[in-house]
Amino acid sequence: MNIVLIFLITIFSVSLFFYGKSKTKTISIKDNIKLNALPKFYGYYLVLWCSIPALVFLLVWSLFEPVIIKSIIIETAANQGAIFSDKNEANLIYEKIKAIHLGTYFGDIDSILRESALAYAKFINLFTNSKVVLIFGIIIASVIYSLKKIKNNNKARDDVEVILKGLLFVSSLIAILTTLGIIFSLLFESIKFFSVINIFDYLFGTNWSPQRAFVRDASSITAAEFEELKDAFGFIPLIAGTSFIAFIAMLVAVPIGLFSGIYMAEYASIKVRRISKPIIEILAGIPTVVYGFFAALTVGPFFRQVGENLGLTVSSESALAAGLIMGIMIIPYVSSLSDDVINSVPQSLRDGSYAVGATKSETIKQVVIPAALPGIIGSVLLAVSRAIGETMIVVMAAGLAANLTINPLESTTTITTQIVMILVGDQEFDSPKTQSAFALGLTLFIATLILNYIAQRAVKKYREKYD
Amino acid sequence: MSNIKIKSKNLNVYYGDKQALFDVNLDLNEKEVTALIGPSGCGKSTFIRCINRMNDVIDICKVTGNIEMDGMNINDKDLDVVSLRERVGMVFQKPNPFPKSIYDNISYGPKIHGKGETKSELDQIVENSLKKSALWEEVKDRLDEPGTSLSGGQQQRLCIARAISVNPEVILMDEPCSALDPIATAKIEELIDELKKTYTIVIVTHSMAQAVRVSQKTGFFHLGKLIEVGKTEKIFKNPDNKMTQDYITGRFG
Repeated sequence: MNIVLIFLITIFSVSLFFYGKSKTKTISIKDNIKLNALPKFYGYYLVLWCSIPALVFLLVWSLFEPVIIKSIIIETAANQGAIFSDKNEANLIYEKIKAIHLGTYFGDIDSILRESALAYAKFINLFTNSKVVLIFGIIIASVIYSLKKIKNNNKARDDVEVILKGLLFVSSLIAILTTLGIIFSLLFESIKFFSVINIFDYLFGTNWSPQRAFVRDASSITAAEFEELKDAFGFIPLIAGTSFIAFIAMLVAVPIGLFSGIYMAEYASIKVRRISKPIIEILAGIPTVVYGFFAALTVGPFFRQVGENLGLTVSSESALAAGLIMGIMIIPYVSSLSDDVINSVPQSLRDGSYAVGATKSETIKQVVIPAALPGIIGSVLLAVSRAIGETMIVVMAAGLAANLTINPLESTTTITTQIVMILVGDQEFDSPKTQSAFALGLTLFIATLILNYIAQRAVKKYREKYD
Repeated sequence: MSNIKIKSKNLNVYYGDKQALFDVNLDLNEKEVTALIGPSGCGKSTFIRCINRMNDVIDICKVTGNIEMDGMNINDKDLDVVSLRERVGMVFQKPNPFPKSIYDNISYGPKIHGKGETKSELDQIVENSLKKSALWEEVKDRLDEPGTSLSGGQQQRLCIARAISVNPEVILMDEPCSALDPIATAKIEELIDELKKTYTIVIVTHSMAQAVRVSQKTGFFHLGKLIEVGKTEKIFKNPDNKMTQDYITGRFG
């Protein structure tokens, strides 16, 4: 029904566009007056007036209709003699009534349910009809209003500008509110988690084994259980594993990325640059899950094999394999960002250096890189925050055991891996185990936020210096 | 008549397909200031960039013909560009101090050429260069501040100090005052007068008044050709060529 309505509104608006355009043209010719705006703006004006009020009304209606119908139906069911003690049971009865109406209910239907279902059908009908009537009423009213405005040769151009500005504002508002929503949902769940687990036990505990808290209602936890849970959520092994893998990744990505960035910016001819830059950037386009199975199926076993030949014990899921592949994944970020930064170092600095007799590599090492350093640091920090947030590769290649180790050949785990492990499968949403995922998410979010902030500051500082 | 320091014979420069200099024959006298004037894009800068081979930096640039310094062919492929640039310093249009301290800006060149092995030797070089460029009194107490913190005129004198820190024989100046205010310009001109006692100087300038003030010899370039060259006085009072006459009286350019 809603789709049909939206379709009708669209058709009507489009035809009004042409109507408004030609109408104002005729007015201007017939009465020989100068229009306050181009004819097409009168067209836009009609379109906006015809569609926006109706669509906004439709949206608001659709948001509130189910809520209102539900409360009415539950009340009628209660009047019919239905018995429910709390909200959940009321909801269950409501769902049953709805299912009966749709013909998908296969249980026993008693008279109360049948009566309520009939009432439901009646209300749905009533609401739909009144919706259609109201919408057409609104369209007619707003179109009449706007046609009258047009006839008076109003400043349609300015009005259209105002409405468009409003639309853009609403769009950005939605983007911001969504972000806030995500942050708050993380925050509230985390607060629930920290009401059970002491924040210091979480931040400084060295043991991570959330499965101990499996299916345990947070509200009905006993003192003994509480003691047991106390040391199940230690954050240290996760942050250690995360930093360790990110560190290995940076060991791979920073030198290779930086050197390739320098080569691209300083040495490569235009032809080489044109071919090789996209190739490096293709690396950035490979989905991380592909890197993940490359790491898990090829690199991991290869390291184990090599390790065996050398007489070392290498776990087939190792921090080394995950870090290495993650490093390869990050190379293009470091490379293309540092390439950009080096390119924006003014040529005059290089000239100055050549003019005193410095060679190319001396110039790069002593003048170009120091000048580009803040930007390079920024790009590295952005890469670090990506490495910390990366999930798929570590899920597949680094293992799940929360080992507190600095041996790169053993398996280890990261924050993101644990979030995945906690949230896959059936979950009890009151269990501290599930809530710990939100606490982890919040911690990760704060960590990457700080890194990004520092990186942005560094890059900005650099820009100010040379712009 | 002083000695000829640099001598160009039939010098041609091409940027890709476009020829920028046509058969330029120009002699530069030792310990004298030679000014090169002419409208924008006439090849003045291209010419001085041939003297320290700065055109090598540009991939598509090709130089033919002869350019000699003390009888040594600058355009020789086997020539060591590093030692050439040690002998021929350059100052650019816009002050371009490195993002380093004032001290490091000047010690950069000597370090590259292995001069000033001990700290005190290096200190001495820095002090001398800054004194020669008349900047020492203004910066001696803040040598560790960044070079970019100086004013425009000071930055340009810092760049001159950087150029003379490796003790060159020739200094090329590519419109050194075009980004500076009149007071800073006056200081640089004063400095050029002083420097010409020790160095051979070539200055590209758009200001005819500046050419008159600082130079002993002037060359007028137009569309890649050297139209006329001679004593500055003569060029500005009584040029042989009609085009030179028109340019210096402001009829074109």
